[in-house]
Amino acid sequence: MKRKLTTRDIAEIGVMIAALEAVKHALAFLPNVELVTLLIILYTLYFGDKIIYVIAAFILLEGCWYGFGLWWVMYAYIWPLLALLTYLLRKQESVWVFCVLSGGFGLCFGALCSIPYFFIGGAKTAFAWWVAGIPYDLIHCVSNFLLCRVLFLPLKNVAKNVCKRD
Amino acid sequence: MSETTNKKNGKKIAIAIAVLAVIALVFGVIYVKFAPKALAGTKNITIEVIDDKKETVTYNVETKAEYLRGAMEDAGIDFSGTESEYGLMVETVNGVYADYVTDQAYWAFLVDGEYCNYGVDSQPLEDGQTYRIEYTCLE
Repeated sequence: MKRKLTTRDIAEIGVMIAALEAVKHALAFLPNVELVTLLIILYTLYFGDKIIYVIAAFILLEGCWYGFGLWWVMYAYIWPLLALLTYLLRKQESVWVFCVLSGGFGLCFGALCSIPYFFIGGAKTAFAWWVAGIPYDLIHCVSNFLLCRVLFLPLKNVAKNVCKRD
Repeated sequence: MSETTNKKNGKKIAIAIAVLAVIALVFGVIYVKFAPKALAGTKNITIEVIDDKKETVTYNVETKAEYLRGAMEDAGIDFSGTESEYGLMVETVNGVYADYVTDQAYWAFLVDGEYCNYGVDSQPLEDGQTYRIEYTCLE
């Protein structure tokens, strides 16, 4: 049976969503340099099923903020996919594993986002859309990899401390 | 964890990083091969702006610009928007603002009747083409 959320759980979920929104807006001026990927990886590893609520709320908030356009459809599957991949790797202990996951996710971000264009305009449109964004996917890959390498361990310690108090 | 297991894991991780680097390199090669190529020289093109009242303004432009944004500037079209990772996201053309959040409206860009595959900063120009910039509402 699924456990009920406690007040503390709800508060933690709220703080996690707030942190996601804060880092997203704080780094919005840097194209494809973001901390959302790293935070979602950490949330999935250390906060269990709360990630479901966090991602659902994050996606809805983004839609409310920027409008429910085609890009929102991409968000609706791309972040849950990252959480799923992280969940599959949850037993890994090396920071490098998550650097590769984070970098690979950034590298494939454009390709994953081009999927709706395949259904709207066909393979040619999706391919052209993906190719146009490749330089940004490369930046996304490198920045995700480096940010994960630098920030994963300190943030992991913070997450562990929070979990200990549960 | 034993030293042998650590070594094995280290090797696996090194392979994963190498694979990631190779995929990144392949993506780079694909970009160089298939990215839109700009043409040098003078082009004569037509730009049609269709506003929210379906009124059309036509600009016949002789331009040396390589991409659509430059030709729009040469034509004297008044436009603005938000700079993004894919270049300028055009929101206002000739004083008409397309508000996606409240009206689900946007400026559609077409080349010879087909939707442009690229943004204004990377849509290459070709001589004789007709570009249409049309105020569009999602129904």
